[in-house]
Amino acid sequence: MTLARRKLLQLVGLLGAPTVFLLFFFLCPLLIMLVYSFLTPGLYGGVEWQFSHLNYGRILGWANTRYEKFDPVFLSIFLRSLRLAALTVVTSLLVSYPAAFWISRMSPGRRDFAIFLVTLPFFVSLIVRLFAWVLILRPTGVLNQGLMGIGLTSEPIEFLYSDFAVILGMTYVFIPFMFLPLYASIEKLDVAQLEASSDLGATRFQTFRKVVLPATMPGIIGGGIITFIPALGNFIVPSVLGGAKVLMIGNLIEQQFLSARNWPFGSALAMLVMTAVLVLLVVQLRLARREEAS
Amino acid sequence: MKMTHLAVTTALVLAPLAAAAQEQLSLYNWGDYINPEVLEAFTKETGIEVTLDSYGSNEEMLAKIQAGATGYDIVFPSVHMHDIMFQLGLLAKTDIGASPDFKNIDPQFVRAKTDPNAEYCLPYAWGNVGIVYNKALAGDIKSWKDFFALGAEGKKITLLDDLRETIGIGLIMNGKSVNSTDPDEVTAAADYIVEHLDGVTAFTYDSVPQVISGDVAAAHWYVGANLFVSENPDTIGYIIPEEGATMYQEDICVLESAPHKENAKKFLEFYLKPEIAALNVKQQMNGTPNVPAQKLIPEEIASNGTIYPPQDVMDKLQIFEDLGRDLQLYNSEWTRIKTAQ
Repeated sequence: MTLARRKLLQLVGLLGAPTVFLLFFFLCPLLIMLVYSFLTPGLYGGVEWQFSHLNYGRILGWANTRYEKFDPVFLSIFLRSLRLAALTVVTSLLVSYPAAFWISRMSPGRRDFAIFLVTLPFFVSLIVRLFAWVLILRPTGVLNQGLMGIGLTSEPIEFLYSDFAVILGMTYVFIPFMFLPLYASIEKLDVAQLEASSDLGATRFQTFRKVVLPATMPGIIGGGIITFIPALGNFIVPSVLGGAKVLMIGNLIEQQFLSARNWPFGSALAMLVMTAVLVLLVVQLRLARREEAS
Repeated sequence: MKMTHLAVTTALVLAPLAAAAQEQLSLYNWGDYINPEVLEAFTKETGIEVTLDSYGSNEEMLAKIQAGATGYDIVFPSVHMHDIMFQLGLLAKTDIGASPDFKNIDPQFVRAKTDPNAEYCLPYAWGNVGIVYNKALAGDIKSWKDFFALGAEGKKITLLDDLRETIGIGLIMNGKSVNSTDPDEVTAAADYIVEHLDGVTAFTYDSVPQVISGDVAAAHWYVGANLFVSENPDTIGYIIPEEGATMYQEDICVLESAPHKENAKKFLEFYLKPEIAALNVKQQMNGTPNVPAQKLIPEEIASNGTIYPPQDVMDKLQIFEDLGRDLQLYNSEWTRIKTAQ
């Protein structure tokens, strides 16, 4: 066997399984979704093989039939989802960044334990954890009773069923997603560089801005994207903590597939989310390339 | 001698296994929608082993069966889903309507349009969708008007996260059918809900604990709330609103793909017995279409006017029918309602 051939075989062996996996479990469903989004809804779920562009028309503005009418509400729900997902990224960054610094400076034993604690919530069902938040946030819940108990407020505050509750819940759910990539890049930070920076007369803020921030930027961008994408499509948090009133695009898609029996429209909405995610990934790629170049 | 001993032991060990392999029945039902004692009694009488899986909505069940979930014998669809499943060819003929004990069933409950002679399914249970309220916060409410007035007063109320139930309230308040397919009527009903959204704090199924704790004054909920009312009689109550309400009914159907059709038929016949239907009501606190069973159920359930309403109230209860494509009219309005605040 020649060397080139062996190398080729090795490559096939290594890449074969992931390629097949991605093809079947990522590309195929995506293509099915894309095809469905141009079809007519079946009477009882499913699709009828008849071309229709009205699913997109409902979202983007040209549909006007008995069942398919343009409504700007779909785009505004999409925009709201983008906003809530972006806010989730910001809040989980604000919590995770200092925490990652703190944990990276711990002794190895405590550090491993702290990282274990960050991932601990994954051991409990998401639904159970969200209902625990309902008990904390509701008017007769722990938080309001506590605030009134120490005399900070006299009336219960409406925490539950609000944008606040949704962002809080999503931040809580996605913190590990943000924390782990951040931690990976913060742990690699060279202490000698920080010392050099202050030796050369930089203030602490300057050191942060010119040394720490650029060095940890890959972690920030990585964590941001890995948080943003599932946050954008999330429908459980808005349904439990938002009282299904803070509607996000994920809820709308779920509704089309389950109660409304309109798979093609659900597929079209899902394509909208996919587009947003793709745009985001392209931007990230560009940013990463520019960084490498500089 | 030793050999015989071994053979006997083996036979004794394997016999029940072999029986279990033959005699099985697999139910696919809504969560907590049958008294486990009914299943135990069935196994005791027939020796048939019963397994039970659960689903959360008609649509979920249909999607799973359509996607090819096999191994289930019996499902419990609502009447409109019974019609849909019939049209999709998913149901098996049982001729349950010809069973001698079928005379126990009140004929008004043979509702599915596609199955007027109960050749396929057996009416199972029914109930209504009204209001569960906190007595201290809501006072003595009687109607949807009172319910929405609580919201206008600044108290908190919740509606079900269900497009037809919630738009249905609007249709009832406007004096229309909850199965309306007139776009203007559906829009007007949605407008009614949008205009009365003050105080609606959530669209949710998880309302009863919040009504009990006082976080919410009143909630749009099912007659099953009576179970909680019986545990907290001083705190909460349940009413069928004066203006009318929706009702639901599920039927017991055998699937065309059922692996144990004969056992399934036995279960349907078993469930026709008044004492069995009554046993189920005792724990479920819902309505049974089995007339002689109604004499066997506990007095506090039989005399509860929200579970077994008098005929004039019955006449004001509307049941959902399948709307086919016209469901999409409700779908758009539902999104509008949910984003109105």
